[in-house]
Amino acid sequence: MTHLPYIAASYAIGIVLPSGFGIAAWLRASAARRRLLAIDPRAQAREAARRGRDGGDGP
Amino acid sequence: MTRKRRRLVLLLACGIGVGSATAIALTAFSDNLVFFKAPSDLTRDPPPPGRVFRLGGLVQAGSLERTTEGRTPIATFRVTDGRATVRVTYAGILPDLFREGQGTVALGTLQPDGTFRASEVLAKHDETYMPRDVADALKKSGHWHPNAGPPPPASKWPTESAIEAARTKAGG
Amino acid sequence: MENVSAFGPSERPTRQTPAGPKRRGPNLHRFANPGRFLRLSGAILPWLTVIGIAVTAFGLTWGLFFSPPDWQQGDTVRIMYVHVPAAWLASAGYFSLAVCAVLSLVWRHPLADLAAQEIGPVGAVFTAICLATGSLWGKPMWGAWWVWDARLTSVLVLFFLYLGQIALIRAFDDPQRGYRAAAILALIGSVNLPIIKFSVDWWNTLHQPASITLTGAPTIAPAILWPLLYSAIGYTLVFAAIVLARLRAAVMERRVRTLLLARADHAASGAGAVAA
Repeated sequence: MTHLPYIAASYAIGIVLPSGFGIAAWLRASAARRRLLAIDPRAQAREAARRGRDGGDGP
Repeated sequence: MTRKRRRLVLLLACGIGVGSATAIALTAFSDNLVFFKAPSDLTRDPPPPGRVFRLGGLVQAGSLERTTEGRTPIATFRVTDGRATVRVTYAGILPDLFREGQGTVALGTLQPDGTFRASEVLAKHDETYMPRDVADALKKSGHWHPNAGPPPPASKWPTESAIEAARTKAGG
Repeated sequence: MENVSAFGPSERPTRQTPAGPKRRGPNLHRFANPGRFLRLSGAILPWLTVIGIAVTAFGLTWGLFFSPPDWQQGDTVRIMYVHVPAAWLASAGYFSLAVCAVLSLVWRHPLADLAAQEIGPVGAVFTAICLATGSLWGKPMWGAWWVWDARLTSVLVLFFLYLGQIALIRAFDDPQRGYRAAAILALIGSVNLPIIKFSVDWWNTLHQPASITLTGAPTIAPAILWPLLYSAIGYTLVFAAIVLARLRAAVMERRVRTLLLARADHAASGAGAVAA
């Protein structure tokens, strides 16, 4: 391939940055969910309903 | 008028205000927003001597000459916009994409003899993207020569299957 | 109470609690209910993520290994499969900020403010990807990492508008003030969007004009256009998935804050033991 370093750097940027942001968002959402489940009866009910529907093998 | 309606109207009014202010400002500064001057701009409105500016246009077919002075490559070529042409000299390595018939933008000054001495040359490519075999087929069929300007519209391009068919016919 | 200034600070949106009275009006407020939003987005998000990653991977793999090199740019044209989707999402992301701003300023939609807060950083990242890959494409092809032509400059301005919005929306102790200031900035900044789009037509630029237009046939051969479409759709889904995940986190974090505050109030008022 011609100009391989430029192409490789572009793809690295285009893959690493969105992945990093995606993973960070996922971690943040699961942390918020854990905290909410600990204190919110409504969220606990929602979680229970979800688990019931899924057959009890939710994450 | 409900509050919602009033906020909407106010927002639209602000939008029209900001939009027209921007439009007026851009029109007023339009001359400064162009990245380069075309050769015909120079004849119509010649820049003051010694002023550094950018000159842009197509590299005229058959005008490119390469020499070397010591170890420095020297390129001379003509830049055209169809109405006027300017002769450009440049000492240095041209970008990979630079070729006759291709767009170019050069930074430099106009000399008293009317040539443009460039200190930097950039290649400007057009918005067409095609594989080599499509370009070759266009060239072979006589629809287009890269040095003569931009390729024909995409609707005139041969399809991959047509190229394949032509290749098998030529081979068999 | 007659409020003279339409955007006056005295007019605060009243928070809709899920238990509150059913509100009449536009259906937009359907999604203002945090519980319903979390349920709906929770059902969509896994699909959005999986399909987005799959389509992006498909488009990028096709573009990187199986699409033909351009007749004059050679393999460097493959940078397009990252650069063009990033550029599209930079603009589309800012457009969605402007939509959120209207929803927030006119309809006082509570989710629109949170959405604006979460879209900002994601849009800024995609704008940064667009600028970085554009630079990496410009050096080998044009011969320059950067030029101050109208297209590149207006995209750089877009990046700074994103940074301004990100800072402004978090700048106030009272989040409502930040939301309002950021919404106004987003709306004013949206005049930059047509400038970005048409800069290559209105002025001489080093950047080439659009290859895909609404009116004419695309000036890209199908073998190069298809992987580009796949990676553009894939990146768009990924962008939406990241925003949705962040928005879910923000909604849950807000609910946690509200509950903790209510608890603290309860305890402070001396109503007895902390309700567990």
